[in-house]
Amino acid sequence: MSNLLKIENLSAKVGGKDVLKGLSLTLNAGEVHAIMGPNGSGKSTLSYVLAGRPGYEITGGTVEFMGRDLFAMAPEERARAGMFLGFQYPVEIPGVNNVYLLKAAVNAKRKATGQPEVDAYEFLQLVRAKMKLMQMDESFLSRGVNEGFSGGEKKRNEILQMLVLEPALAVLDETDSGLDIDALKVVARGVNSLRAPDRGVLLITHYQRLLDHIVPDHVHVLARGRIAKSGGKELAQELEKRGYDWVTEAA
Amino acid sequence: MIALPTNRDENWRYANLRPLAKARVEAAAPATLPAVELPPPLPGHERLVFVDGRLLRSAANAARTDVRVLDPRAAGEAFAALLDSEIAAHGVDFALARINAARGEEVLHIELPENADSKIEAVFIASTGAANGTSYPRVQVHVGRSARLCFVERHLSEGTAEAAVNAAVDVALAPGAVMEHSRVQRVADAASCFDTLVAHIGESARYALKTVVLGGQTSRSTMFIKLAGRGARCELSAACVANGIQTHDIFAEIEHAAPETVTRELFRGIGTGRGKLAFNGKIIVRENAHESDSEQSLKSLLTGSGAEAAARPQLEIYTDRVRAAHGATTGKLDEQMLFYLLSRGIERQTAQALLQWAFIEDAVSRVTPAALREDVERAVVKRLSAVASLDGLLVQP
Repeated sequence: MSNLLKIENLSAKVGGKDVLKGLSLTLNAGEVHAIMGPNGSGKSTLSYVLAGRPGYEITGGTVEFMGRDLFAMAPEERARAGMFLGFQYPVEIPGVNNVYLLKAAVNAKRKATGQPEVDAYEFLQLVRAKMKLMQMDESFLSRGVNEGFSGGEKKRNEILQMLVLEPALAVLDETDSGLDIDALKVVARGVNSLRAPDRGVLLITHYQRLLDHIVPDHVHVLARGRIAKSGGKELAQELEKRGYDWVTEAA
Repeated sequence: MIALPTNRDENWRYANLRPLAKARVEAAAPATLPAVELPPPLPGHERLVFVDGRLLRSAANAARTDVRVLDPRAAGEAFAALLDSEIAAHGVDFALARINAARGEEVLHIELPENADSKIEAVFIASTGAANGTSYPRVQVHVGRSARLCFVERHLSEGTAEAAVNAAVDVALAPGAVMEHSRVQRVADAASCFDTLVAHIGESARYALKTVVLGGQTSRSTMFIKLAGRGARCELSAACVANGIQTHDIFAEIEHAAPETVTRELFRGIGTGRGKLAFNGKIIVRENAHESDSEQSLKSLLTGSGAEAAARPQLEIYTDRVRAAHGATTGKLDEQMLFYLLSRGIERQTAQALLQWAFIEDAVSRVTPAALREDVERAVVKRLSAVASLDGLLVQP
C-alpha cells in the first residue's frame, strides 16, 4: 500500500503560538481518515498547514505528499499535484465567475501534467453532471464564486470543485458544519462518490454525525496539537457518547 | 498667455502637468491618416475620425445636419450658454479648456432635435509628438427635449508618439433627454492626455458618463456636471488602471442645483508597479436641492509596492432633507481570496490578475454599447495580465 500522506512529528506555530506539537499520521491510498477533536485542538491549523496558507510557521517535523516534500511546494503546486482543501469558510470572490474558476483550475492542473486544455463543451457537460449530483442549480455556474451563497450552498460548491478536480487527497475541514441533515447527505454522497483505491480523504470534523454518512477507515482524536488516540470507526461513536475529556485528559 | 494650473492649486494636487507645459502649444499640423489601426466600427453608430483635432474627411460617413464640424468661433456662438459664467468662474480649472478654445481648429458639433434618437462614435487620434504641437479635440453636444443620444468618445494615439492631447467636451441635455456617454482613453503609454468636460443636465434628463482610462504616461480629467433641473440624474463611473509609471488623475465635481436630483458615482482604480491614481469626487448640494440623493463609492486597489492612490469624496451640503452616502477605500489584494484561488491550483500571476479584474469589472461593465464594452474588457484584462492568460474569463456560459 502506498503512502499518500506521511506526517511525522509535525509542529507549527500561528500568531506566535504553538498549535501543532509533534503530530504524526500516515494516510494510505484508498483510505478515509477522520480527525476529530475539541475546539482549539489544532484541526483547522492542520488543514491550512497542509494546503500551505501563509501565516503558519512550520517549526518541526516533515510531511511527505505522494513521496514529495510537501513544504518544498507552493500552495498552487500542491493543488496541481492532487491536494484539495475543502474550506470550513469558503471565500466569496465577487466578479470571478464560478465556472471560470473551475475551468482555470482544471486547466492549470492539466498544464502541469502536460495535457492539453479541456474541451469547453465536454467540460460543461462534466460540470453539469456533477452539479446534478450535488443538487445545485445551474444558475450557480454564472454567479461569482460563492457570492451570496448560503452556508450550505458554499459547502456544496466546495464539494463540486472537489469532484471536478478529482484530487488524490481531499482534506475537508468541517465540511459538515452549518449543514442541515438533507444537505449533509448530499455532501456525503459527493464525497463517497470520490472514494477510490487510488485516493484518500482526510475528514476534519467536530461531530460524529458526518461519519454516519461517510464511514471512515480510521479515526484520530487531536488534542493539544497531537494525535491523542487512534482507532476504527467505533472510536467516533464512543466519542459521541463519552465526549472528548476522557481522551484529552489522558493525552 | 493662459497660465496652466500647478500642483499648488486646490483641485490639481495630483496631476502631472509637465508634459503639457513642455508640449508645443500650437495645434499639431494637419495630418493624413496615421498608421494607427482603427478599432472595428460599432454597430449602428455613425463614426467620425479626427486626427490631431481635425476631421479626417475621407473617413467621415456623416452627412447630416445635426452633426457638423464647425469653426471654433461659430461653435462658441452657438453654445454661448454652455460655459456659463457660473461654471467658468472656476478660473484655473478651466485654463486647459480655454487653451483648447484658443488653439483648436475644429469643433464636433452635435445638436439633436426634440425626440431624436442617435448613435455617434467619435475617434480622436493624436498622430505626432508633442514637440510638433498639441492635439485639441473639441466636442459640443446638445441633446434636445426628450431626445436620446448614445455617444462614444475614444482617444487613441499613433504608435509610441509622445503625443500631447488637450480635449474639451461640452454637454447640454434639455429636459427629458438621455445621453449615454462612453469615453475610452487608450493613448500610447508615452503620450499624455488631458480633458475638461462640462455638462448641464436639464429637468428629468439623465446623463450616464462611463469613462475608462488606460493609456498615457499621465492623464487628467476635469469634470463639472451641473444637475440644473428638477429630477436631473447623473451616473458617473470611472475605471482606471495605472501601470508602471502612469499617473491618472480625475477631478469630478457634481453640483445638485435643483430639487430631487440624483448622483450615482463609482470609481474603481488599480495601481500596479509605481502607478499613481487620484480621484477627487466633489459633490455640492445647493440650498434649493432638497430631496436630492447622492451616492459615491470610490475604491482603489494597489498591487505594486510603489503604487499610490488618493481617492477622496468631498461633500458640500447647504440644505437638509438630502441623502448623501459616500465611501472610499484603498486596499491591497485580499490574501484570503488569493489563497483560495492558489489552493485550487491557479498560477499566482493568474490569480492576481483575476482578483484585479474582479475588482474593476463593476466599473468597466457599464460601458455601452456591448461591442465597445467587450473591446474595453479585453483591453483592461490585457493591462492586468501581461503574463497571465485570462482567456475565457469574459465568456459567459
